[in-house]
Amino acid sequence: MKNLFRVARWEFVTRIKSRSFLFNTFVSPFLFAAVIMLPLFIFNMQPQISTKLIGIIDLSGLHIKDELQRELNRSYRLNNRSSEYMVMTVAVGNSPTYKEMLNKYHEIRNRLDSITTVYNQIKEQRMQYYKNRRIPNRDYVLRSSYEKLQNARDEKELIQIELSRFKTALDSVYKREAQRMADSLLYTDVLNAYLVFQPDFAKTGVVEFHTKNPGDLREIDRFEKILHTIIIKKRILDDQIPRSKIQKWFRPIHIKRYQLLPQGDQEWNFYVQFYGPLIGVFLLFMAIFTAGGYVFSSVLLEKSNRVIEVLLSYVNSSQLMGGKILGLGSLGLVQIFSWIVITALLVASGLLPASKISYLNMQNALYFVIYFSLGFLFYGSIFVTIGSVSASEYDAQQINQLLRTIAIFPVLLSLLVLANPNAPLIRALCYIPFLTPSFMIMRIPLSSVPITFDIYATIILMVVSIIVMIWISGRVFRMSTLMIGKKPTAREIWSWIKIK
Amino acid sequence: MNKETNENILEVRNVIKSFKETLVLNGLSFKVQGGETFGLLGPNGAGKTTTMRMIMNILRPDSGEIYFNGTPRNKLEGVHFGYLPEERGLYPRARVIDVLVYFGTLNNMTSRKAEVEAIRYLDRLGIIEYTDARINELSKGIQQKIQFIAAFLHDPEVLILDEPFTGLDPINQTVLLEILEEYKKKNKILIISTHMMDQAEKICDHICLINQAQVVIDGPVDAIRKQFREDAYYIELEGNYPILSELDNVQILEEGKNSYKFVLKRGAISLADLLKKVEEKARIRRFEVFEPSLHDIFIRLIQEQAEEKA
Repeated sequence: MKNLFRVARWEFVTRIKSRSFLFNTFVSPFLFAAVIMLPLFIFNMQPQISTKLIGIIDLSGLHIKDELQRELNRSYRLNNRSSEYMVMTVAVGNSPTYKEMLNKYHEIRNRLDSITTVYNQIKEQRMQYYKNRRIPNRDYVLRSSYEKLQNARDEKELIQIELSRFKTALDSVYKREAQRMADSLLYTDVLNAYLVFQPDFAKTGVVEFHTKNPGDLREIDRFEKILHTIIIKKRILDDQIPRSKIQKWFRPIHIKRYQLLPQGDQEWNFYVQFYGPLIGVFLLFMAIFTAGGYVFSSVLLEKSNRVIEVLLSYVNSSQLMGGKILGLGSLGLVQIFSWIVITALLVASGLLPASKISYLNMQNALYFVIYFSLGFLFYGSIFVTIGSVSASEYDAQQINQLLRTIAIFPVLLSLLVLANPNAPLIRALCYIPFLTPSFMIMRIPLSSVPITFDIYATIILMVVSIIVMIWISGRVFRMSTLMIGKKPTAREIWSWIKIK
Repeated sequence: MNKETNENILEVRNVIKSFKETLVLNGLSFKVQGGETFGLLGPNGAGKTTTMRMIMNILRPDSGEIYFNGTPRNKLEGVHFGYLPEERGLYPRARVIDVLVYFGTLNNMTSRKAEVEAIRYLDRLGIIEYTDARINELSKGIQQKIQFIAAFLHDPEVLILDEPFTGLDPINQTVLLEILEEYKKKNKILIISTHMMDQAEKICDHICLINQAQVVIDGPVDAIRKQFREDAYYIELEGNYPILSELDNVQILEEGKNSYKFVLKRGAISLADLLKKVEEKARIRRFEVFEPSLHDIFIRLIQEQAEEKA
């Protein structure tokens, strides 16, 4: 028994001073946290730099610009309280084609105005004729003025049709020229984006959003929200509802999320709830695979350089295997306690607001230690088996890689766990020993109801799996360690397991 | 265990061991006394390493027993035994002193005692300056010396060395032999397996030759040599005279450039007469009664066994 502790001590002491252990304990976690937090940080920092210029091509004639500016101002402001977005109408005044057409349009408009004036004058005159019965040749005058009026009306109608047709053409030129101008402004980064409002946008609900980065989901989401408000407002206004009421109805809405926890409600924050457990799983994974990896490389090293033969002449194989698992498991615990201490220091210094992060408590720290120990013992005994049957380091690394992939698999499902930590699928996956530690470490902080049953049941399952695995690995280890350069066949391994 | 008594006896009794269908040892028995250097000899694959691993309790016999001072081997702690396996390795990144102390403590030494003994032996083997060096910084020869130290640091009752001299230069071979001689004087058991017959001949008091899972011969080296003595003589002359081949009453066994190995035909001529006859024609440089070397005995026995099988 004493030799078991001597082996454990040797494994512990030689590894704790190693650079890889120090790196994995004190650098990797911060590196990982930085890697996943960095994009978020950059994302949040970026928009605060300056006001964004948004172009607008308004073909509706409803003066959307002011409305849009007002709504944007109401919702989005920079840190210095100035507007985050500035809306400008895309001008096409310099385009010769448009200028020419506009002149012609004005000319037709003037013609329409003058004919309208003429028409109105005739109408006025006819009113006089009607009222004044003493006018000589009144019938003739009325008849001839009626003809004039009819001619004027016909002409007016013709000019109106012409104007309307010309307006459509002008609009289309305006749209084309404006879009050409807006594109060049977008291209030269003067504009961040521009919007095109078709004449019937309120009816169809379609607004074009032109940008260089249609993948900028946050920006798209903001405009969608604002335009939604504007269009619905327009539709309501069209139904004769007073503007003041609409203003009141459309006051912005903000959802504050609270999570019901055994100790009461807690404000819910996506980043805290998502990234926290993710970092937790990563740490657990790293602890298990740092210590497990050491078990693995230790067996492999002793087997490949034949130290194992000397060791087995002084200690028996169970003492050797037990010593390795004990020593390197303790190393893993040292790693975890270092992280707990670092977390406690961060909380004490106020860098981590523990009051807002409900899962930072001693109970969960205990679960972390428990699931680490279970995961380590489980994977550690598998590593002993693999290390002892592998003929070469290359073979062994392949299997090691496969195990890592399996163990990190729950991270891929982290969004599902976040959505419902107690979904039947997630619960079922928890009961696969390879996945148990990672899933449970994500579920415990995320579940709003206590999952005591699952905790106890998975612990029992893990303990049983570990007993089976250690029993198997003990047998395989004893038999295979003395085989050199030869990989045992599956049948041989099976016969070792069965042997009395 | 009282180190001062003469009671050290290692006994291997009728041990059978097979791996899958291959019979590696079939009824192996031998006995080694304290103060004796025992040579375990045999061709490759004869079962030497398996025998040593069973004495070290790394492997268990399928049947038969191994006793040390009357106690079955599997009831004893490893601390009475020291082992240098044929294929050697150490922890490449560990420091010399740390490795030695680790092996010492695995054999119930205190860290302090292990450190003191380790330094003593490092000094004795002339490698004290490497005490704090990492193993992978050292040459193969030095690594081998460190493995020797690891094998006998805890002063075991039985020391088993598998091919101990391969890779050592003559000076270090001499230093090692001195240490082993000292060890033997303490009435301890030394078991050596080697292919180098001349080394075995020099240091072994007792040998056991195994081949094809069985003991071919077992006994004190002198007795074995006596047993295989052929009443042959060896003569070396100055100049080349085919004198011996001219004599009818001499049977030449081997002929060298100026030397002959021969036997006298029964009752033909006395040795004194023969030498007189030779001296008349040539000067005798060397004459001796021919003792067969272990090498010769080894080859002869193995060949005989092969012929019998055929």
